[in-house]
Amino acid sequence: MPCFILLIGVLGFPTVMAVLNSFGPIWSKGTSGFTLAYYQRLFRDAIFWNSILKTFYFVGGTVALHLVFGLAVALALNSAIRMRRFFRVMAILPWTVPDVIAGLVWAWMFDPISGIVNDVLDRLHLIASPVEWLANPNLVMPSVILADTWRGYPFVMLVLLAGLQAIPKELYEAAKVDGASPIQEFFHITLPNLKRMVAIATILDIVWQARRFGLIWVMTEGGPARATEILSVLAYKQYFKFFNFEYASAMSVLMAVLLLIVGLPYVRMIVRRV
Amino acid sequence: MARTLTYAFLVAVLVFNVVPFLWMIFTSFKTDAEAYAIPPTWWPHNPTLYEGYGKVLMWTNFPRYFLNSVIVSLGAALLSTVVGALAGYGFSRFQFRGRTALIGVLLASQMLPGVLLVGPYFKMLARIGLYNTYTGLILAFTTLTLPFSAWMLKGFIDTVPHELDEAALIDGCGRFHAFLRVVFPLITPGMVATLIFAFLLAWGDLLWVLCLTSTDSMATVTLGLSRLVTQFRVIWPQLMAGSVIAAFPPVILYLLLQNYLVKGLTGGAVKE
Repeated sequence: MPCFILLIGVLGFPTVMAVLNSFGPIWSKGTSGFTLAYYQRLFRDAIFWNSILKTFYFVGGTVALHLVFGLAVALALNSAIRMRRFFRVMAILPWTVPDVIAGLVWAWMFDPISGIVNDVLDRLHLIASPVEWLANPNLVMPSVILADTWRGYPFVMLVLLAGLQAIPKELYEAAKVDGASPIQEFFHITLPNLKRMVAIATILDIVWQARRFGLIWVMTEGGPARATEILSVLAYKQYFKFFNFEYASAMSVLMAVLLLIVGLPYVRMIVRRV
Repeated sequence: MARTLTYAFLVAVLVFNVVPFLWMIFTSFKTDAEAYAIPPTWWPHNPTLYEGYGKVLMWTNFPRYFLNSVIVSLGAALLSTVVGALAGYGFSRFQFRGRTALIGVLLASQMLPGVLLVGPYFKMLARIGLYNTYTGLILAFTTLTLPFSAWMLKGFIDTVPHELDEAALIDGCGRFHAFLRVVFPLITPGMVATLIFAFLLAWGDLLWVLCLTSTDSMATVTLGLSRLVTQFRVIWPQLMAGSVIAAFPPVILYLLLQNYLVKGLTGGAVKE
C-alpha cells in the first residue's frame, strides 16, 4: 500500500500542480485567484497554433512512415529466409540508440559541406550545389522525420512481428488449399489478424512521437523560423527560457488532454483483459 | 522470385540501418582536418584514436557526464524496480475496490507528456533544495520509469501461481515474507529485465536533465553531448567518439532484452 501512495505521489502531485498552475500563479505568494486567461491567450497565439500544426506534421509523418516501413520489414522477416536472426538484430539496431544520439549522428550526416547525404547525392549527380537540409525551413521537417523514422520504426516492426508470429499457420495452409493468392492471403488473413497489434503500435507511437523532445532539440532546437517547433519544444521554451510558468502549464495541460484522448483506447484494450 | 525480392529488400534495409552507425564510428576515428575534408572521405584514411576518443576523454568533462549518467540511471532503475515490484505484487494478488481504475490510471500516466511534469518538478525540487542534485534527478526519473516498471513486474508476478504464496501464508509467513521468500526468487529474471529497461529509459533522457540541473558537473551524457553540438564550431570527431561511448551500453542491453520489452508493452496481447 505505501507503494501506491508513492506511485500517486510522484505522478499525481506534479500533475495536479501543473493543472492548478495553468489557471493562475501558485508558486508566488498572494495568489490572485483562478482565471481562464491563459487558455484564452493560447487560442489567440499564432505561435501556439504553428506548433500544433508542426506537431501534427511531425507525428503524422513519422507514425505513417514507422507503420509502413515497420510492416514491410516485419513481413519480410516473417517469411522463410535464411539468417533470420542476423537480419532481425540488424533491423532493431537503430532503435537501441538514445534519440539524442540519433539526432546528433543525423545532424552530422545532413551537414551541407562535410555530410554524407550531400556527398552521395553529389556522386549520383542528383544535386548541383550542397543542400542545406537543416537550415532550409521547407526541408528541415522532412529531414527530421527521416532521422526519426530511422530510429523509430524498429519498435513498430517488433510489435507487428510478434503479431505476425502469433497468427496460426493453419490459416495460411487452408488458404493455400483453397487456391488463394499471396495478395488475397495478406488482405484476408494477415491484416484482420494483425488489427489489434497495429492499433496498439499506432497508439503508443502517436503518444511517444508527440512527446519526442531530444531528437528535435539537438537537430534544430525547433528552428529555423519555428519550422520544427513542435508542442513539447515550445512548452519547454515557454517554461524554462521565458519563465511563463502559467502559460506553459496551460499549453502542457492541453497537450496532455489530447494525448490521453488518443491513448484511452489502448488503456481500455489492456484493462479489459486484467 | 519473391524470395529474391525479399532478400534485396532486407539488404536495402540493412544498408539504411547501418550506414549512420558506420558514419558515426568512422568519424570518431578521423582527425579534425579530415572530418572537414572536401569532398568528405567515407572511412578514415589516417585513423587516429587521439583526436576523437583521446580528446573527448581528456579535454572535456565527458568522463564526468558518463559517471553522472551511470549514477542517476542506476539509482532511478533500482528505486523504481523495488517500488514497482511491491506495487506489481499488490496489483497482481489483491482484489480491492478501484483496482481496475488504478491500473487504468497507471497505464494512462504513461501518456502524460514530460513537459507537463517537469515544470512542477523544477519548482518542487528547488523548494526542498534538491534542484541540481543526484537525489532530485533520481526522484524525477522515477516518474518516468515507475509506471512502466510496475506494469511490467505485475506481468511477471502474474506468471507465478497464486497457490505458491498462499501456501507460504498458511505456513505462517507474513505477506511481506511470502513475497520475499517465494515470489521474489521466481521473478528475478523479470526484475533484472525491468531494472535494465528503467536504466535505459533514464539513460536516454534529455528533457529532465536539461530542466533539473544547472551546472556542467551534474550533466549526463545526453546533455553533455547536446551542449557540444550547440557550440559555435562543432568538433565532430570528438562528438562522434562521445556518441559511440554513450550509445554502447544501451545498444548492448537492448539487443539482449528485445523480447521482454514487446511482451511488457503489449500486455500479453500477442497470444490470444
